[in-house]
Amino acid sequence: MIKSKNNEFGKDLYILYPGDHYATQEDCVIGTISASCMVICLYDPIRHIGGMGHFVIPGAMGTEGIYRDEIGSHGITSMEYLMGEIVKLGGDRKKLRAKIFGVANVSGVNSWTDGIKNSIFTFIDEYFRVEHIPIEKEDIGGDRRRKLYFFPRTGKVLRKLLENNQDSSEFIKMEQEYINRVFKEKNTYGKVIVFE
Amino acid sequence: MKHILVIDDSATIRMSVEYALKEIGFPISQAENGRDALEKVNSIKSNGNDIAVCVVDVNMPEMDGITFVKEFRKGDKFTPVIMLTTESEDQKIKEGKDAGASGWLVKPFQPEQLVDVVKKLVR
Repeated sequence: MIKSKNNEFGKDLYILYPGDHYATQEDCVIGTISASCMVICLYDPIRHIGGMGHFVIPGAMGTEGIYRDEIGSHGITSMEYLMGEIVKLGGDRKKLRAKIFGVANVSGVNSWTDGIKNSIFTFIDEYFRVEHIPIEKEDIGGDRRRKLYFFPRTGKVLRKLLENNQDSSEFIKMEQEYINRVFKEKNTYGKVIVFE
Repeated sequence: MKHILVIDDSATIRMSVEYALKEIGFPISQAENGRDALEKVNSIKSNGNDIAVCVVDVNMPEMDGITFVKEFRKGDKFTPVIMLTTESEDQKIKEGKDAGASGWLVKPFQPEQLVDVVKKLVR
């Protein structure tokens, strides 16, 4: 993630790269470019706290439910990192609303198999249904990248569809590196400590 | 009868933990935060039952996991409490240990990891 002050909004702009998440109650803007990954924007309209996560699940899931699935558990954990930051700031999980973008199949670059793409769609549907978080906007799929600006205090999102390589070549490379790393590490789990 | 108490504000995590720990064989109760969990503990104990182990998230609204452990330990020094969290910094882990936690697992977890730790701590 990088922070920029020179932008059209006159506010601090936090630019997220694939794999990043950020939550804040500042009057700022969080931006990213989504392609194959999903971008989740969450906000608490009462406490004016919001956050964005830019991530992917590392493979195709089975059909038994995301909470029984090892691939699904990685997606749940990615959501927990974002959710944990919002809760630490005082956000109320029961008040959160979601706006979801991405999961595009951009020709020739980071394209998903149908199995993985459908698993991402299933993950989104099931996760937000089980967590009782209403999805206010779902703009996923298609074959175009999306440039996104999220205003975390209000939940407003500005979205622009991009041409194939317009303005995003660095993101394409970074996304590919992120996807390669996440898929390679999908059998890696957190540490376990038993206190003596 | 002993119960496993799963405390997490995420419904999907509570379901994952319940699914993983089914094989242990104890009834499983769920709570959404530390305050809710303390009420569940009182309710379970007042019905003549006991807690086998608590599996607790750290970042939760109303009462976080570290505060829950401190409160729980005022009335129960020995029941194992396992923290299950995305927090992995040494300072946070020390806070958990100092509060009275018995173990610390960083998400994402494999069901077998959690079962092994529970079996090790619940005798």
